[in-house]
Amino acid sequence: MADKMDVEAAEQQLKSMAHSEQHYFNSYNHHGIHEEMLKDEVRTRSYMNAIVQNKHLFKDKVVLDVGCGTAILSMFAVKAGAKHVIGVDMSTIIFKAREIVKVNGMEDKITLIQGKMEEIELPFPKVDIIISEWMGYFLLYESMLDTVLYARDKYLEKDGLIFPDKATIFACGIEDGEYKDEKIGFWDNVYGFDYTPLKETALAEPLVDTVEIKAAVTDPAAVLTLDLYTCTTADLTFSIPFKLTSRRDDFIHALVAWFDIDFTACHKPVRFSTGPHTKYTHWKQTVFYLDQVLTVQQGEEINFNLDVKPNDKNRRDLDIKIDYHLETQDATRQAQGSCQYKMC
Amino acid sequence: MSAAPNRPADRYPPASESGDSDSRDEEDWSDAEEEDDEEETLEVISLLDDRVFPDVMSMLAHCKEKHGFDFLGVRQRLQLDFHGCVKLVNFIRQRVHEGLSVTEDISWSDIDHEQYLKPVLDDDAVILGLFDLPELKPAVQGSNGNGDNAALVDDLLKRNSELQEELARVKTQFDSYRVAVQQTLDERWGDVDQAEAESSAAAKAGKGKENGEKKEDDSQYYWDSYAGVDIHETMLKDAVRTDAYRDFIYNNKHLFAGKTVLDIGCGTGILSMFCARAGAAKVIAVDASAIITKAQENIFHNNLSSIITCVRGRIEDVALPVDEVDIIVSEWMGYCLLFEAMLPSVLFARDRYLKPDGLLVPSHANIWLAPVSDPQYVADNITFWRDVYGFDMRAMQAGIYDEARVLTWPASSAPADPNSTIPAAPSAFKLLDLYQVQTSDLSFTAPFATTLARDIDALDGYLIWFDMFFSPTRNSAQSAVELASTAEAWAAADPQNRVAFTTGPHGRETHWKQGLLLCKPKAEEANNASTSKVGGEIKGEISFSIPEDHARGLIIKVAWNGNRSQTWSLR
Repeated sequence: MADKMDVEAAEQQLKSMAHSEQHYFNSYNHHGIHEEMLKDEVRTRSYMNAIVQNKHLFKDKVVLDVGCGTAILSMFAVKAGAKHVIGVDMSTIIFKAREIVKVNGMEDKITLIQGKMEEIELPFPKVDIIISEWMGYFLLYESMLDTVLYARDKYLEKDGLIFPDKATIFACGIEDGEYKDEKIGFWDNVYGFDYTPLKETALAEPLVDTVEIKAAVTDPAAVLTLDLYTCTTADLTFSIPFKLTSRRDDFIHALVAWFDIDFTACHKPVRFSTGPHTKYTHWKQTVFYLDQVLTVQQGEEINFNLDVKPNDKNRRDLDIKIDYHLETQDATRQAQGSCQYKMC
Repeated sequence: MSAAPNRPADRYPPASESGDSDSRDEEDWSDAEEEDDEEETLEVISLLDDRVFPDVMSMLAHCKEKHGFDFLGVRQRLQLDFHGCVKLVNFIRQRVHEGLSVTEDISWSDIDHEQYLKPVLDDDAVILGLFDLPELKPAVQGSNGNGDNAALVDDLLKRNSELQEELARVKTQFDSYRVAVQQTLDERWGDVDQAEAESSAAAKAGKGKENGEKKEDDSQYYWDSYAGVDIHETMLKDAVRTDAYRDFIYNNKHLFAGKTVLDIGCGTGILSMFCARAGAAKVIAVDASAIITKAQENIFHNNLSSIITCVRGRIEDVALPVDEVDIIVSEWMGYCLLFEAMLPSVLFARDRYLKPDGLLVPSHANIWLAPVSDPQYVADNITFWRDVYGFDMRAMQAGIYDEARVLTWPASSAPADPNSTIPAAPSAFKLLDLYQVQTSDLSFTAPFATTLARDIDALDGYLIWFDMFFSPTRNSAQSAVELASTAEAWAAADPQNRVAFTTGPHGRETHWKQGLLLCKPKAEEANNASTSKVGGEIKGEISFSIPEDHARGLIIKVAWNGNRSQTWSLR
């Protein structure tokens, strides 16, 4: 009965939020997304290994699980010997998490709190370890990183640990003519009609999809590394130049970005990647189609600049700008441009 | 003549100079003309009354002030050169002479007559003073010569009218862009308003909102969900859907030629453009979503703006530029046909705008149900939760028997095949004749029945889909769509004019997929010959209804085999 009232109160709270926020939290209320995340073996197994294989780090510690969802990470932490785990989630999925924790006999070890990290009060003044699966598409889209950083600054003991503690965004250039044609060229002729007004919109929307490794024309480059112990929310707005070196003579239609996640505190470091070279994850990769096609020769370097900032109106949306400059002796292949994208 | 002094327009003439003397006193005129030499002040008689002025500019200023007649404005508008001005002056004088009124809306055709080159007043000082007028914006040299000058004038006039036509064209184009921009802006402002409304609602402690208001919010969200490009890409690339509309419209051009068509929920405008290309005289495209601005651009780029008019808003609220239409075309179908509840809008438009003999495209729909039995699906999607990385997550199953799932069910082998996932023939349970159906008919209870073609371990659920029919006639005997008509067979009977498609698992995949209603397992059923063995009958009733708290949602209830009953919602 009390639970039912909680659910209603939570739903009421969700209703009073701004539309975009509401949509964000509501989208996590559905099972489908949790099923997808749990069935993402790369993700779930990496967290499991990082936690369960490091009992020496978790034994008798107080752990905070930021954005706990179905509480799977909280339960891993209990298995690893944590003294107590606090799971926090805004979404009403937390009521399911309570049931799950109960049937797994861990309700005395795990406290689940429904609410916004910034607004709730924890039963412990400080925690020894923060665990969180906060990553979004392109690492930062709809990510909870700012909430994790808030929790770090407010609750983490001086020598406390963060799982994971390092995230790196990578990028490389890909040949993707066929699909670009299908996605972007589609609007040139729709059942015999000119639909080009929708083409710009399509170009401005980064595509979350899987990319085959054979499409990669350049070596990958690490663009941004975030150290979760030291970074601040200001670091989530950045403008970074980087170079990509072509591996072969080919065309570049798009830039593809992905991220790697590290748990460096582990006895045996645990790491997973969401790149095109490795196993599928539900994050897939993020493809940014360029307005031009770059014609590159083996060994050539292309200069890029990646500019990312949260949207002024809705901070969970991202405004992204990619500048490119291919400088060659061959004037016909010279190319320079700037593309603006919005993830929303 | 060019040496004649320029006089500032604001220097007002002494009104007393010629007193009340008759302006048409020709003697006065001749005298003045003969006596004054170039440097002297001419007596300029007003075009519109009998006042006399020392120069043309002050006379014109008087006409503008006193009579509201802007000579220079008319000259500028008609781009009059010297001869044009002469004609204008004489035209005015002639009318005044005849006691007719003179207004500013004089057109070129009014004054373009040779007779107006002949002065109405001899030695009219106004005509002599025309050379002193400020130059036209595009300078026209009209002072030298007469013969070839006329040719030049004609040329310029011709060019002038061409330019004006072009200007009109550009104006129309600009107007259509302006509308698009305005709507985009409105939408932006609308967003802000909405955000403000929401935050103020939140400030009021977010107490329970009124029901009506809540339903409206739902609707807003519904429209918003169609504003993005993705969903339209999905729909346009759903070739089963888009091809069906295209084929019907293009194969039946005779039905569309010269007709007025209403497209409800036009989205990117594709159906409207099909109709326009098929020969419709006029298409009105209505959509409440912001995507309509894209439709407008698309229509413009395809040179169909003169045929298609876009109207943003709910069909129930907007004012259409016509009272009735010959054809209503709409792609209103949602998951399980009736989710999203757009059909009532089409029915509203049918009753409000469709001519008695008008056509509905599409014209009929029927809904199907088939039992499914698929142990693999159950293992992957239900049993899965019993052991997730060593944890019991059964709690996550909670909704699966209460919520309809939208998914693509793989085509099943024949029902009798031991590996079939659909072990019995599908059963059609509802036919919607769109000419007859009422909104109240969309909540209904209907019987269904089918017979197992093989033994099953368990009835795992029911699959729901629909078929769509596009009939070229509203004569129901000729349409001949029946409850159990299948899209394939019905269309095959008249492939020239009929078009139909299915969203069932046996057809090509569509973005509607199918609806899956999972049944709770019943242990005792496994050995019940009447419900799990070949020849066993599965029959009962299915009802569709609309949830009270979510006007665009759908509730489906199935009661079968006497004692089984379950309810699923789609939201």
